[in-house]
Amino acid sequence: MAEYWGIKVEDIFNSMQERFRPEGAKDVNAVFGYDIKDEGKWKLTVKNNSMVIEKTDSLSGCIATMAADGETFVGVNTGKVDATNAFMSGKFKVEGDMVLFGKTGRLFRKFVIAKKKMTVKDYLADMFATVAPRFKAGEAEGLDASFAFDLGGPDGGKWTVFIKDKTCTVTTTIEGKPTVTLEFNDAKDYVDFILGKIDAHSILAAGKAAAKGDINMMASKWPILFEKYKDPMAGDVTEQELLVLKKTISLNQNFSTGPIMGKFLKGLKDKKIYANQCPQCGRLQLPPREVCAECRVRAGDFVEVGPKGEIRYMDVVYYAMPDPLTGVARETPYGSIFILLDGCQGNETLTHFIRKDQIEKIQMGWNEKKGTRVRPVWEENRIADIWDIKYFEIDE
Amino acid sequence: MAHQKKNRNVGIIGIGQTKHSSHREDVNQPELIHEAVSLALKDADLTMKEINCVVHGNMELFEMVHSPDLWHVLGTGAYGKDSIRITTGGTVGATLSCASDNLVASGMYDIVMAIGFEKLQEGHTTGGITNMADPLWFRKIQAGALTGSSAYDVEREFGLERANRASLTYRIIMDKHAGLNPNAHRAFGLDFNQIDDLIRTSPKLVGELKLIEMCSQSDGACCVIFACEKKAKELAKTPVWIRDHITAHKEETFNIFGYNRAFPVMKTHKFAAKQLFERNGIKDPLNYFDVFEMYDPASWWAIDWIRDFFALKGDEHLKLVENKEIMIGGKMPINPSGGVIGSNPIGATALIRVAEAALQVRGNAGPHQIPTPVNHALASGFGGTMWTVMTMLEKDLNW
Repeated sequence: MAEYWGIKVEDIFNSMQERFRPEGAKDVNAVFGYDIKDEGKWKLTVKNNSMVIEKTDSLSGCIATMAADGETFVGVNTGKVDATNAFMSGKFKVEGDMVLFGKTGRLFRKFVIAKKKMTVKDYLADMFATVAPRFKAGEAEGLDASFAFDLGGPDGGKWTVFIKDKTCTVTTTIEGKPTVTLEFNDAKDYVDFILGKIDAHSILAAGKAAAKGDINMMASKWPILFEKYKDPMAGDVTEQELLVLKKTISLNQNFSTGPIMGKFLKGLKDKKIYANQCPQCGRLQLPPREVCAECRVRAGDFVEVGPKGEIRYMDVVYYAMPDPLTGVARETPYGSIFILLDGCQGNETLTHFIRKDQIEKIQMGWNEKKGTRVRPVWEENRIADIWDIKYFEIDE
Repeated sequence: MAHQKKNRNVGIIGIGQTKHSSHREDVNQPELIHEAVSLALKDADLTMKEINCVVHGNMELFEMVHSPDLWHVLGTGAYGKDSIRITTGGTVGATLSCASDNLVASGMYDIVMAIGFEKLQEGHTTGGITNMADPLWFRKIQAGALTGSSAYDVEREFGLERANRASLTYRIIMDKHAGLNPNAHRAFGLDFNQIDDLIRTSPKLVGELKLIEMCSQSDGACCVIFACEKKAKELAKTPVWIRDHITAHKEETFNIFGYNRAFPVMKTHKFAAKQLFERNGIKDPLNYFDVFEMYDPASWWAIDWIRDFFALKGDEHLKLVENKEIMIGGKMPINPSGGVIGSNPIGATALIRVAEAALQVRGNAGPHQIPTPVNHALASGFGGTMWTVMTMLEKDLNW
């Protein structure tokens, strides 16, 4: 089984039970499938606020199935791969009920990559392996010295760091007479000292360590010659936490209609649809506008049109659009229609919604083709508003 | 159309833009703007001292911040300076460029800095766009900037399969371009062999308009510095000259969707391009221009608009796309930057079109620089229900 960022595909599935959030599963009763390339298939059953995950041969009966390769799957679950980008570029796909599959996002707590603990041996290897890369040659002008480390205990060992001709070399032995030798009874104390968990004085005072030779050279030069050792396990804890403040603004607004739009809206209250006509070019405007923008003249004459008409165009909207007046997402899909009301011609269309269950039956009109005939369905209590028409429906 | 020759020439002498991204929680708005301002000043080798006027713009209330130019002064550097705020919707970035051009050309200022900005993750883009509709009625019906009408028109004219494939071909070309642009927000690494798969699997937003075909919502800022001819020649090695710009507005209207061809309505792209090329004596724009940075909110609109901008006939525009002539290295490279589909911090987006076109003229756009010399570049902006701004850039002062 391949590993990605040190994590196997199975680790994600095996930890699902532990990461499960019953509060996120309240309205979910479904079976989801996961088809991970070269890794296998898994079936997730969510029912009555509980879940079962099982490896399987067949994904039949799943309401939605996600397909991806192992790297993408692990990446998306651990935040190493941007989920939107992966989805958009087809690196993972969802077959079936995509909306329902989207709810699996809140079924689980985030998968946290367990940090593998570094042992004293791991730290020592890392600390001495990074000595040469941390060396600042510019600070070693004319210096010829060697620093030896004699570290005891089960994980200990011997190292010498040589500085000569502005180069730094490290050996795993101690030979000849080093400029200074640091001796630690237990290598663990050395590791803690370098990580800043204990200070040098207390170790020396406790007799757990000793320095032989030119200790001043060690104390004064070492911090200048080498960049400070960075703990690979420390992560980003030193970085400042970034905050995002959440705000919701809800304000009342009042818009004056003016007499032209006012006439149109008042007309709706009386179940009448008014357009107004340009005295110069003769075109109708729907809803009425104060002037004809093309002729730059006032358009004052009202003409009653419709209320029935022909659909010229329909946008079937699948994207859950928020209603700007309430902030609540509109229920999808819905049909936004452009209707040529009786008495109008050319592009003098009015925009409104079609009855939800009739989207499939709509024929859009074109120059040589008639569109579906529709009629308005009026609200019982009308308040001079575009929604005094609830929607349009097929005129049969 | 009343249009007079400029009082004096104006050149672009500094360009800076941030990396565009959906994840800029690490900076606030002034800090984000400051990144672009610093880069533009560095590019022009200037300090704020030399800037006479700052022109600031973004989408009105998209982040629900009133007078953002006041808050942003910390990032724009406009403290104590003449400063003008402009907001014209999707075209705002292009309008910033037009205004800066006019301010310098008029003689009012020698050096003007234009800053376009947006942090779309801090507001709600579709909600913001829907709020731009007529509050008396249409706000209750509109669906943001999303419509499948272009897709429907192209499909009806050229058939479902050819139309879908052309749209996806355009989309993948943009993705390949974005892959070369280190500042681009989205570069997925798509390839042409994924067309059929993407047509089948990409979720539909409205009608045939699919998620993959729609532009992104980005955080980002762009800053461009404009100077009069004298200053530009003194300060810049290769100033990019603004030859002309045009704006075409029309009434707020939606009858362009599903319209009857027997009753033609004004299409502002076509109208603006015709006026602009006529008054500059350009008979064959497709041959004249070396690159076009087009405001392409979705691949369906993009393929349809190529026909409008260049006054092409029949299916010439589709062939340009299908034969990949719009790719870097093709006959008319469109959006070497990856376009709006690649990055869309809206208030900056149209200014990025001008900035990227200018970079191409200068010849130092980076990995997405087109290989042949660029002497004449075109940039477009789009907004409202069908508004157009176009800008012509030249390498030499010889028109």
